Amino acid sequence: MTDPSALTAEAVAAIGKAQTSAELERLEVEYLGRKSGRVSKLLEGIDKLSPEERAALGKAVNESKRAIEEALSGRRSQLEENRLADLAETEAIDVTFPGPPLDRGHVHVLTQVRRQIETVLESLGYQVELGPEVETEWYNFEALNITAGHPAREMWDSFYFSPELLLRAHTSPVQIHAMQRIKEPPIYIITPGRCYRRDAPEATRLPYFSQVEGLAVDKGLTFGDLKGTLLYMIQSLYGRERKVRVRPSFFPFTEPSFEFDVSCGICGGMGCKSCRHKGWLEVGGCGMVHPQVLRNGGIDPAQWNGYAWGFGIERMAMLKHDVDDIRLFYESDLRFLEQF
Amino acid sequence: MRISYEWLGDFLDLDGVTPKDAADVLTRLGVEVESLTMVDLSNIVIGKVLEQKPHPKSRTPLWIHQVDIGVRVEQIIAGAPNAVPGTLVPVALPGTTVPNGKVVKDMNIAGFKASGMLCSADELMLGEDHSGILLLDRGKPGDPLTSIIPSQAIMEAEITSNRPDCMGHLGVARELAAGLGRPMKRDFMPSFTGTADPPGRELVKVSVDDPDLCSRYIGGVIKGVRVGRSPDWMQRRLRACGVRPINNIVDITNYVLFEYAQPLHAFDLARLNGPAIHVRRAREKEKLLSLDGVVRDLTPDMLVIADALRPVAIAGVIGGEETAVTTATTDILLESANFNGASVRQTSRALGLRTEASSRFERALPPELALAGARRAASLIAELAGGTVHREWADVYPRPQQPVRVILRPALIDDVLGTHVPLEEAESILKRLNFHVKVMGDGEWDVLPPVFRLDVTIPEDLVEEVGRVHGYDRVPPTLPGRRHERWTPATPSLDRRLDAIREVLAGAGYSETWSPALVSGRQLEALRIAAHAMRVSNPLSDDMDTLRTSLLPSLMDAMALNRDRGRLDIRIYEIAEAYLARVGDHNGGQPEEPLRLAALASAGATADEGRDALYRLKSVLDGCVAAMSAPSCMYDRASAELFHPGRCAAVMLDGRQLGYIGELHPTVSAGAGIDGRVVAFEVDVEPMVAESRIPRAQPLPRFPRVQRDLAVIVDETVAAGVLHTAIKEVAGDLLEHVRAFDEYRGAQVSEGHKSVAFTLTFRSPERTLTDAEVDKVMAEIKLGLEKRHRARFRE
Repeated sequence: MTDPSALTAEAVAAIGKAQTSAELERLEVEYLGRKSGRVSKLLEGIDKLSPEERAALGKAVNESKRAIEEALSGRRSQLEENRLADLAETEAIDVTFPGPPLDRGHVHVLTQVRRQIETVLESLGYQVELGPEVETEWYNFEALNITAGHPAREMWDSFYFSPELLLRAHTSPVQIHAMQRIKEPPIYIITPGRCYRRDAPEATRLPYFSQVEGLAVDKGLTFGDLKGTLLYMIQSLYGRERKVRVRPSFFPFTEPSFEFDVSCGICGGMGCKSCRHKGWLEVGGCGMVHPQVLRNGGIDPAQWNGYAWGFGIERMAMLKHDVDDIRLFYESDLRFLEQF
Repeated sequence: MRISYEWLGDFLDLDGVTPKDAADVLTRLGVEVESLTMVDLSNIVIGKVLEQKPHPKSRTPLWIHQVDIGVRVEQIIAGAPNAVPGTLVPVALPGTTVPNGKVVKDMNIAGFKASGMLCSADELMLGEDHSGILLLDRGKPGDPLTSIIPSQAIMEAEITSNRPDCMGHLGVARELAAGLGRPMKRDFMPSFTGTADPPGRELVKVSVDDPDLCSRYIGGVIKGVRVGRSPDWMQRRLRACGVRPINNIVDITNYVLFEYAQPLHAFDLARLNGPAIHVRRAREKEKLLSLDGVVRDLTPDMLVIADALRPVAIAGVIGGEETAVTTATTDILLESANFNGASVRQTSRALGLRTEASSRFERALPPELALAGARRAASLIAELAGGTVHREWADVYPRPQQPVRVILRPALIDDVLGTHVPLEEAESILKRLNFHVKVMGDGEWDVLPPVFRLDVTIPEDLVEEVGRVHGYDRVPPTLPGRRHERWTPATPSLDRRLDAIREVLAGAGYSETWSPALVSGRQLEALRIAAHAMRVSNPLSDDMDTLRTSLLPSLMDAMALNRDRGRLDIRIYEIAEAYLARVGDHNGGQPEEPLRLAALASAGATADEGRDALYRLKSVLDGCVAAMSAPSCMYDRASAELFHPGRCAAVMLDGRQLGYIGELHPTVSAGAGIDGRVVAFEVDVEPMVAESRIPRAQPLPRFPRVQRDLAVIVDETVAAGVLHTAIKEVAGDLLEHVRAFDEYRGAQVSEGHKSVAFTLTFRSPERTLTDAEVDKVMAEIKLGLEKRHRARFRE
């Protein structure tokens, strides 16, 4: 018959030497297994002992169990501590090794720029209005004060389906539709969409492009308001250090009419190679809405006035992302599209 | 238009105003100077050719010159043969940069030293001519070229279509003078008139048939002219404007065109039959040999100038060769007329001939300009060609220009500009621009624009005149804002709502494309999707002559392009309109423009890969629909153009067909130049948006779910979608979700049958389900499938 305290000492010593949790597992079964564990075996033949001896043995065995359990859990936490302390060596990986490629699709850069433009102008209270791309002669030209035979028609050489039906040359017809629908100002709208002009494709222009126009009709609007709106838009899109220059120009649907430029982002307006030494980059056209155009939209110019501006989304994207050939936007070459 | 800085100096004092300053002021005023070219001639010297010999060794013909440049004689080699001994030539010595950018170096050409370059007009930017060396008519060897030709500054400016008066130097100078606040040195209307008898109108009869097309025709008779070279200064200015000098008479007409913007023409009076001028429409089959040596076929749409017998010029476009001024000419008829802009444009387009004259008439010139131009030209001819100008020219003026008065409430200036311009300043600006201003009793201004400004008709036009000279850069930027009593609540734009779809597609690896809506009609026809196509009547080319009826051909082209550039796995999509002519409309009315979403993915080579890719694509489409918070789509077997006959489904949303999904027909993908299989869908977007609902939160389940799999063996013809519907109908409320996850054909099932495996999820909102409860429902499902579809089950 084994002495419980000797068995305890043997077990505790073995546990103290164990190096892995598997070893501890094995020792636990060896000593504390319910039927064949060595501690349980101490109780073999206990029924032959006197009540006093029986009580003493029971107590000794219980103590032995508790001591071994304590040793086990102590050693376990020690081993776990050791393992955590060694993680830096045992589980180190090469963190410079690349992850597998992420198959991320790309939203088209023109969608991204259109989204930014919409967001900026919506923050000023403008709402998006849409209209048909196949337009009538009246909405595309006449209503905008571009009468038949007007010398300015040269600016909008168009694709026709019939003498009365054409692909819109600008999104301005949407302004007329919007005035007719809304009827009572205030009107603050933007009109993004595709337009078409009969120009042979080259690096700076295409026969198809996308435009955004803005229109404000309200009481007492001024050229200063137009200028401020352009400045807000340009600075929101390109950064607050940018400046806007407004130059007189001519459009039949605005009076006065202007073109607007943004200061070159590279030289800040001093003139450099990228702005062809002008210091300014052309963005679009704008002006105070011609009274006849308001009338054509059913708005009384004696009570209301307005301003409008327009530009190409591609042009904005070219200026923002240094794209030097407009054709890249429509070629669907993934090597280009995945850059944005 | 090209503007010569030196020429502007004829009309105003440019002291202290550099060419760059002038360009900046003009741009601010609305004459946009796009480029400024400085032609610095100060480092070019005058040389005299002493000797010219052919190069003995060179294969291309070259000439070796000995040139006296004052201090020494240099050997210079040139390719042009015209610098014969005795001529004076411009010489650029080694180290010089000539105006066109060429750097001159010491060279050795096939054994002969070449120290410098003899310059052409083109190299010195004094003209377009690069065929030979520019020969000088005077000058001292060794002197700088600037001793006879001043350095030049040439501005390339864009003149807006409302300002034909600025298509001449006088108009541009007037703008510059107003902008600088300097006086003009010369009046608009020259005082010169002829004095010789008899009156010119008795020498030539002028008649105008169609006053709508010709509102004025002035014909001046000048006799006894000596045709010869025009003076250097005139030749230089014409060259600066891009025109080659011809003879003094022709040069004077061109010169006045570039000065006044009034085109003129000189006829040899002796070669005019009659002599008479008849402004009329061309007759059928009439022809004219024009000055550029081309025989022009005329049509009755075209206005011509005819003599008693035949057309002698095409009105406003070009003159005829047979009546042109030559060295033998002594008497001329000087034409200064006003032709209808639209008619000139139409004629110029029909002939494919745009000239300096036509580009001015196109913009509707004021008829008063014709008289100013005629007087100016006549005075120059008298001065430079020694002609005798007869008095009282023929002047047929059926539609005299009417003065337009504009009444301006001066407060409008501040109201529109949003800044304060003092009234005195505004009045002074208008006067500097030659407007007459009369302040009326009620404070309003009665303004009379100058005769050359037909573009000013409403008060806002006057605001623009004041604003641009005052300076738009002086107006402070503001944002509008007043107390509004009415507004429209904000709604997200359609395109921003579709960003939810873009997110799903980006996550699934699909990249967005924007492709042209104008495509090849022939391609649509070959694909048999041209039934509703709208064809452009004036396309630029036949690969952009039709509006697309589907986005898929564009995506197929994009895939082929990226394949060509080395991509194998391609996933792309586009959101854009298709254009469908309405039934019964043949280009008569506006088409439907449904917004479409189309996607395309490469799908391997084998039938199995194609099938798997199609199922993945279905999940992508389901994801897009779910992202719009629209109800789920149903798919029904279908057949459609472009798609594989056995692998195409109609996409149904709430009983409405959105479009198709499937594998592309092998001939379609091969026809687009794509090898391998391609899966695609194209659906209408607007119904999805219309069906979009705000998601409502559902309570989270409180009790656990129970999952069971069920392998259903059925006849091959029974679709998984049909089994799915049957299971849902039989199962009742406890079935939360069912989804097919595997399809099997082969040894384990009998011929003509397949096994479809489903995962079923059961849950009760009220209690934890027992196995017995679920077993009971499963038994009902099996019974139902047995009855409806003669299904058996694999254990």
